[in-house]
Amino acid sequence: MAVNLKRSSRAGTSPESMQRRRMLGWLTGLGLFGSGILSAISNFVFIKPRATYGQPQRFSIGKPEDFPPGSRATLGVRSLCVVREGNRIAALSTTCTHLGCIVGVSDTGFACPCHGSRFDQDGTVTGGPAPRPLPWYKLTLAPNGELEVDKDTEITPGSYLSL
Amino acid sequence: MSPATEPIPPKSGLLNALKEFPKNVWNSVFRNPIPSNDLEKSATSFTNFFLHIHPVKVHKHSLKPSYTLGLGLISFFLFVILILTGILLMFYYVPSTTQAYDRMLDLRGTVAFGMILRNMHRWSAHGMVAVVFLHLARVFFTGAYKKPREFNWVIGVVLFLLTLFMSFTGYLLPWDQLAFWAITVGTAIAGYAPVVGKDIQFLLMGGTSVGQEALLRFYVLHVAVLPAILSLGIAIHFWRIRKDGGLSRTADADATPALEFTEPASVKSAGPEPRKTYGLQGLVRGPITKAGQVPDNTVFAWPDLLRAELFTFVITLSAILVLSLLFNAPLEEPVNILHPPNPAKAPWYFLGLQEMVSYSAFWGGIGIPTIFVILLFITPYIDRAQTGVGKWFAKERLLANTIFLTFVLANLVFVIIGTFFRGPNWAFVMPW
Repeated sequence: MAVNLKRSSRAGTSPESMQRRRMLGWLTGLGLFGSGILSAISNFVFIKPRATYGQPQRFSIGKPEDFPPGSRATLGVRSLCVVREGNRIAALSTTCTHLGCIVGVSDTGFACPCHGSRFDQDGTVTGGPAPRPLPWYKLTLAPNGELEVDKDTEITPGSYLSL
Repeated sequence: MSPATEPIPPKSGLLNALKEFPKNVWNSVFRNPIPSNDLEKSATSFTNFFLHIHPVKVHKHSLKPSYTLGLGLISFFLFVILILTGILLMFYYVPSTTQAYDRMLDLRGTVAFGMILRNMHRWSAHGMVAVVFLHLARVFFTGAYKKPREFNWVIGVVLFLLTLFMSFTGYLLPWDQLAFWAITVGTAIAGYAPVVGKDIQFLLMGGTSVGQEALLRFYVLHVAVLPAILSLGIAIHFWRIRKDGGLSRTADADATPALEFTEPASVKSAGPEPRKTYGLQGLVRGPITKAGQVPDNTVFAWPDLLRAELFTFVITLSAILVLSLLFNAPLEEPVNILHPPNPAKAPWYFLGLQEMVSYSAFWGGIGIPTIFVILLFITPYIDRAQTGVGKWFAKERLLANTIFLTFVLANLVFVIIGTFFRGPNWAFVMPW
């Protein structure tokens, strides 16, 4: 930028120099404001983690024999309930769809201790504030004979894996 | 020391400097001698950093305990107690999921005064939530948010929300069952906010569930970010009280006709007009030379206001000390991410919210609270009538007070239901 220092540094009061001064004022203000906005945004970028340290979303839960027919086993650490009926098996989430509490297995299905949501055996809402049924997760039989859950993929409730 | 006497030339020499050393140090620190009359006290108030927060004189109405109930001061003193006890607790606390709970046990068992400090911190925190809200209610019921105090009311509402957020971030830190599940639920409520909800939830937790990242984040918010913002907010809040002309009062509190001074015409015409001098304030706001022009309903801040403040501080500190000696701050079982306690209850001041979210997560946790907060913010810009200021439950303010009271009572009902009428699985039970 070729700025004639000699001319612009003198305090001229001609309309032309006033206009230039006003514009320089505007540009300075705009620059400061923009920098402020940019640093605010970069702060948000900074505090939003790129990597999280949680559990993996895909994991093995053991062989089908570990879940005898007719059983409803809760895997606490994974917030899962593995249901086996005969030769059909499925994995339901035990995280309440209302506000994230862990639902307990009750006689009629599942019940949440925090705000009283109730679900039936298939995870369908039967009462309380829960907005959605409990998700069913994709369950596959890996080549090594172990069951593998993918918590990133929800499937239609009621679709079992046939063994 | 009349100005007529010859100025004494300062004595030089090291010996003399040493002789006068204590006196010179003292005089350099304290600009004024220990004051013995009102004028000297005023001069000291004016030049002393810690005293200049006070005006030299305050209106008598501002010192009426029945008007303010001292609630603002009590809130501030509780905040001071929280800062001091909080800093001490930081010497022993570690924001780690594997250590935090053990540190709580250490505070109870081995750290000298650890128990009483934790108790004081906990009860002051509960007290501050309650007293800040009561202060807000006092200001509402006396119409004190009206012009020119509209923006100080807005700052006050922000301070109230910050207080709630302080308490919310604080109770994850013990890493016990209440902590874990309250924050799980609380951050999930934030997730219901439209558009940005999920992002806010993720930013707060630093991940997809409450764990080490969330604990560290809440710790930083609780001990650094929020106290800094809150302190700045309190400073502005106090500053504006002065700039808005002190505490609110009725219009007739300023004028007592019997004292009005009327100049006889003969005197008026006798001499030249008094020359007016303007201070900086006068130039900005117009002349403030009011001596002799308005009846004086003020008293000196020193000693009257200082005495009232000292009294409030002693009462507040004593109450917290007695509570902390009598009752221990609860600590539940260490975090068990498999089993929420049944029923899982938030602290009393969030139980109204928890009761409401048990009907609808969005409306109970986001919708209704947001409407209430927006109403609080815009109240002084909607309710423009200048009547009924400075009086508790003024008849002219019946409508506004009724609306406010309805919200407060509704929340109170929800708090009571949540506290006493909710059993396992949040089922309705009778408390007896």
